[in-house]
Amino acid sequence: MTFDPATVAAFVDGELDDLTARRIAREAENDPALAAEIARHRVLKARLTAHFAPIAEEEPPQRLRALLVDDRVDTSLADRREARRARFAPIHWGAIAASLVLGLTIGLRPWMPAAGVVDANGALVASGTLAEALDTQLASNQPADAAVRIGLSFRDETGRYCRSFEGDGLAGIGCREGSRWTLERTLRGETRPAYRQAASGDLAADAAAMMAGAPLDAAAERVARDKGWAD
Amino acid sequence: MRFEEQLVELLPRLRRFARGLAGSAGDADDLCQAAIERALKSRDQWQNGTRLDSWMYRITRNLWIDERRAAGRRGVHTPIDDAITQIAGDGAAEVEAGALRGDVDGAMARLPDEQREVVMLVLVEGYAYREAAAILEVPIGTVTSRLARGRETLMHLLGEAA
Repeated sequence: MTFDPATVAAFVDGELDDLTARRIAREAENDPALAAEIARHRVLKARLTAHFAPIAEEEPPQRLRALLVDDRVDTSLADRREARRARFAPIHWGAIAASLVLGLTIGLRPWMPAAGVVDANGALVASGTLAEALDTQLASNQPADAAVRIGLSFRDETGRYCRSFEGDGLAGIGCREGSRWTLERTLRGETRPAYRQAASGDLAADAAAMMAGAPLDAAAERVARDKGWAD
Repeated sequence: MRFEEQLVELLPRLRRFARGLAGSAGDADDLCQAAIERALKSRDQWQNGTRLDSWMYRITRNLWIDERRAAGRRGVHTPIDDAITQIAGDGAAEVEAGALRGDVDGAMARLPDEQREVVMLVLVEGYAYREAAAILEVPIGTVTSRLARGRETLMHLLGEAA
């Protein structure tokens, strides 16, 4: 590993300049020790975030609210809850995004609305051509001009099938939940080859961190697809 | 938006931060209450246009440190435990690490205060090093070195595969 531990930590914390971050992501593709070190940091961050996230979603106790709000003017408890839910929505989404921590670069490259993605109650879900590609396209056998290219298919630690993908507008990792693909990692797709390569490096490193065991080979990918990505 | 409304909006995050510092839910809400009271009293010191969240986090953290120091002077036992950071090859620490696997609260409680607050600000609250340094009023290098030590201890206590 040619990067010192502080640099790896800074990479996971999104504190590096873009150029260095890309170099690390690229190197992690061919350096299992570096990829493992990145994964170790991400797992810790994800665990801490997930552990503390529910506290920020709780209703704060009345004794604290009472210091700040004169509740007598509020119309009803239901209205207050509704108003609060609406106001806390961004925080809630932040917690979800962070707890999935697939991505250190979410903050650096904010996800932009893109075709093929819909928001289902705060979760990003693949739709349209993206959903179709994730459903049906095999990495081992995809047309050269496919709008969406599938990268790796694998199972994560909870047993879900996940697939990395890259398109012109968006790249990321989708994981199968029920009949849909929840997007757990998204970054803006780039058409310039150099950036595309860097993005695929990020994705590969993320996929490596999420993966339980090895990625699916071509035969296993085909079997999983034919079974509809269900067990 | 009114000052109080902004604080209400910040409250869920502040409670999370306080819980990470104080450990228990009751202590955390006491800490939040003290922080809100302090903020309302010294609202003139907050400059509109600067970040209210950083200001509130600083107040909360300073109150907590004061409280910890006062408790230390009263001789109240606090789980500040430098021994646990000297973990290499230490059999007792290995056993403790095994027992704590999966217990995030237990592992956090074993961090020295100055590491715990950095871990909360950067890894949980998502502040940049620079912002965490401003909240804690320490140099960035202090933030990164405390963060590195805190991380290593947590990884060890929670298990490599966490």
